Amino acid sequence: MEVHVASQELTREHHVLRCIQCGRCTSGCPVSTNSSLNVRRLLNEILLQPDLILSPEATELWQCTTCMTCTQRCPKGIKPLDVIIEIRGQLIESGRIQPGLRDALESTFLHGNPWGKPREKRSDWAAGLDVKEASGAEDLDLVYYVGCTIAYDPRLQKLAQDMVKALDAAGIKYGILGNEESCCGNEVRRIGELGLFEELTENNVKLFRERGAGRLMTTSPHCYNVFKNEYTDFTGEVMHYSQVIRDLLAAGKLKLSKELGWKVTYHDPCFLGKQNGIFDEPREVLGFIPGVELVEFDRCRERSLCCEGGGGRMWTEDVAGQERLAEIRVRDAVGMGAEVLVTACPFCLLTLEDAVKTTGDEEKIRVMDLIEVVAAAL
Amino acid sequence: MDIIVCVKQVPVTAEAEVMVDSSGRDIKKDRLVFDVNEADNYAVEEALQLTEKFGGTITLVNLGPESADKTLRSLLAKGTHEAVRLTDEHFDESDAYVTARILAAALKSLSYDLVLTGCYSSDLGYSQVGAALAELLGIPHATMVIGLEVLDGKIKVERELEGGTHERLEIDLPALLTIQTGINEPRYASILGLRKAMKKPIKVLTLTDLGLAEGEVGRDGSKVFLDTLSVPPKGEGAQILEGGPDEVSQKLVDIFREKGVV
Repeated sequence: MEVHVASQELTREHHVLRCIQCGRCTSGCPVSTNSSLNVRRLLNEILLQPDLILSPEATELWQCTTCMTCTQRCPKGIKPLDVIIEIRGQLIESGRIQPGLRDALESTFLHGNPWGKPREKRSDWAAGLDVKEASGAEDLDLVYYVGCTIAYDPRLQKLAQDMVKALDAAGIKYGILGNEESCCGNEVRRIGELGLFEELTENNVKLFRERGAGRLMTTSPHCYNVFKNEYTDFTGEVMHYSQVIRDLLAAGKLKLSKELGWKVTYHDPCFLGKQNGIFDEPREVLGFIPGVELVEFDRCRERSLCCEGGGGRMWTEDVAGQERLAEIRVRDAVGMGAEVLVTACPFCLLTLEDAVKTTGDEEKIRVMDLIEVVAAAL
Repeated sequence: MDIIVCVKQVPVTAEAEVMVDSSGRDIKKDRLVFDVNEADNYAVEEALQLTEKFGGTITLVNLGPESADKTLRSLLAKGTHEAVRLTDEHFDESDAYVTARILAAALKSLSYDLVLTGCYSSDLGYSQVGAALAELLGIPHATMVIGLEVLDGKIKVERELEGGTHERLEIDLPALLTIQTGINEPRYASILGLRKAMKKPIKVLTLTDLGLAEGEVGRDGSKVFLDTLSVPPKGEGAQILEGGPDEVSQKLVDIFREKGVV
């Protein structure tokens, strides 16, 4: 079954006629080196073919990690990422999508998370810890939005546990949303499932209001991005934890005393760095940690290489035989002599950790989230 | 080609903790979510692919409570045409044969070339309703179907038997097939599609609408009833390893060495 894409409407709506085929989108695209996605060619096809026919699998469109480099580099102000997401939306409506994406979306609808996990286990990470739910009646410094992957993934649950350790050490009054917390929808929207995204935002904004989330702190830059930029009905303040921890360290409320003696490098997550301009805060946090030496990647900050974990890529099939960008990242880090590869995003953490295994560098380097480094220095 | 697909709504228990409720004859469902029975989802997809190829309509038939409308709507959103729900308090506790009897009563007034069901339900797992229904309708059937090809007035099917054996059959239409999971890749029903499907009517039929008597259905009509449900008692000999991944894997390797496995 083929999917017909309404390319003339796309052209009009997204100003594709402005395209001068300069190719900056493709040259900046991180997956242009290891997949068949070619953004310049896609825009050209949309322009030239009034009836663009895609195979339901349309593998190349699902290779996009939604890192947004194409949109940021376009000299004519076209937003190729939005075009890709809209075409994905048309594929979603046809129903013919990869099983991994289908299952993630169905699970998000049924359970409020993309991992097929029951809602009643969402707060299991906090078992045995003194973590309270925000009721909406207390006067809290912040509400901590944990995020699906952190709440359920056994490796990532440690991030939430370390987070509450750090918040407690700083004397912060916070609450979580407990089992009622639901998926933020950042990936859902980028997969192109706009109906489900609307449903999630509506329910989440209501929940945030009820629980008194005047200030919402997230673990993941993906949740941060969507709450900050795409939840138009949410009026509260949204912060990524790296900002909160930086402020606490700067104000002297959080003190890190343990000398770590680590040589580290920092991988900028796309959704924190290039999409939201949060480059300095995580580095400043590292600067507060005794005995941490930071060496920088050649491709750091705005030019940071995407780890390929975003835009639904956590649930799509990898293209067989291609080098993963996370592997390049790990090799670069090992080459610089870094002992710890630090990042501040759960998806980056998982893809980089996988890459450490596939490159056989387990003896040379380990991957840690920034909050784990903070907790280690407490 | 007009197709009827019998679908059931079941609790999703794959990752959930299943507990027996106070009646001792059911599981606690208040915290569970419900979805279409997995094998039935494949049956619906097979029907969709057949009607895309040959034309015709798909009618869903469900025996279940009003809350099953959620599942019916999600299947209507995929492109099935009509839905009939069979609901009556007297239907409670019907065994597999009586379930087939109720479905057969509903199918009598419908025309079809093919009836599809899932090969089993993921909650009770009797695997009997399909075959019993075919018998009551007086049409041939094949169970555990993992592939099919429509011929003129006939259908060629491939059945999955034990030990990797496959069986190919040619069956006259109309026929009933119970569909095994994996025969296809079910499509996704988007939320926008679901919203549109909210406008499609769902026909509800009761005991009297179906011309059945109270004594023919439910516990009274059934030869099998569920007496008690229980969680299997904890067995002896299992050893739970505690600790982090490194610690646990080391312990496991030690046990393998000790027992001479490696």
